[in-house]
Amino acid sequence: MKESLMDILCDPLDKSELELEVDERDGDEILEGRLIGTVTGEVYPIEDGIPNLLPPDMRD
Amino acid sequence: MRSVKGKEWYQADEVAQEYDSKRFSKGGRLIDRREKEAVLAALGPVEDKNILEIACGTGRFTVMLAQEGANVVGLDISRAMMVQGREKARRAGVADRIEFLRGDAARLPFPDDHFDAVFAMRFFHLADTPAKFLAEMARVSKQQVFFDTFNDGSLRVAYNWLLPMGSRLYSEGDVRRLLGDAGLDLADAKHDFVIPFGFYRKVPNGIAQPFRSLDLAVGDSPVGDDLASVSYWNARVESADEPSRAATRASDAE
Repeated sequence: MKESLMDILCDPLDKSELELEVDERDGDEILEGRLIGTVTGEVYPIEDGIPNLLPPDMRD
Repeated sequence: MRSVKGKEWYQADEVAQEYDSKRFSKGGRLIDRREKEAVLAALGPVEDKNILEIACGTGRFTVMLAQEGANVVGLDISRAMMVQGREKARRAGVADRIEFLRGDAARLPFPDDHFDAVFAMRFFHLADTPAKFLAEMARVSKQQVFFDTFNDGSLRVAYNWLLPMGSRLYSEGDVRRLLGDAGLDLADAKHDFVIPFGFYRKVPNGIAQPFRSLDLAVGDSPVGDDLASVSYWNARVESADEPSRAATRASDAE
């Protein structure tokens, strides 16, 4: 995902803000990391450039 | 957005890799072309529009819209499908106009009224809670919501054995109720394919074409709409200044 996607992404549970933590990037492209709900504390992983915003009850 | 064939089936790597060639080769090419025309006709011109595609799968429409100049977000539950989509986007040179992400169509990770258009193709027949999904699509769109349904009362019912088990069929009344409950106004509806999809998928293109011509001839006749197996619904978001539109919708959706 591009970092600019942060402008629109929000927590699927309560639409509150997310915080980005980056482990690996390639320029503007975030490859590995996580999005953390600033209110819910929920952690949404970014895996190989694709963020996983599935709520916890829908993850494998 | 659970597939009735099962979440595991849909998310398997080998299923995703063969998905396009299995579904959209042979007579399936006709379906692919017709569906792409339907999406472009409804959403276009899309240049510089911000568009969200629900259940984007391997990105058939996502990539096409990006090629037409749109900025597209594709959402799906399957990572394997979107890896295929990303590959397709790279080959087409439009990867910088597309973002793929995993998410639940009933709980979208976007703010209210963000996208110019939100659409879903081949999704509602698999939807277990359509009211919830449509309300959520309406919430994040500021203008337009577009989707297709497979119809009840059509010849398709006679071909039930070709449908994934448990597919949901919709009458026009069902769709109108869903739209109303989601705060959407129907702007345009198109009805198509008297002969069901499953048939086209199984025959070679050369055989499919004459049937398709016959299909269009019947489809254009006065009884065509009643026999149609697929409908395309183009809806507008009701005026945003109505009080607590989103709040009302959210509490109504089951």
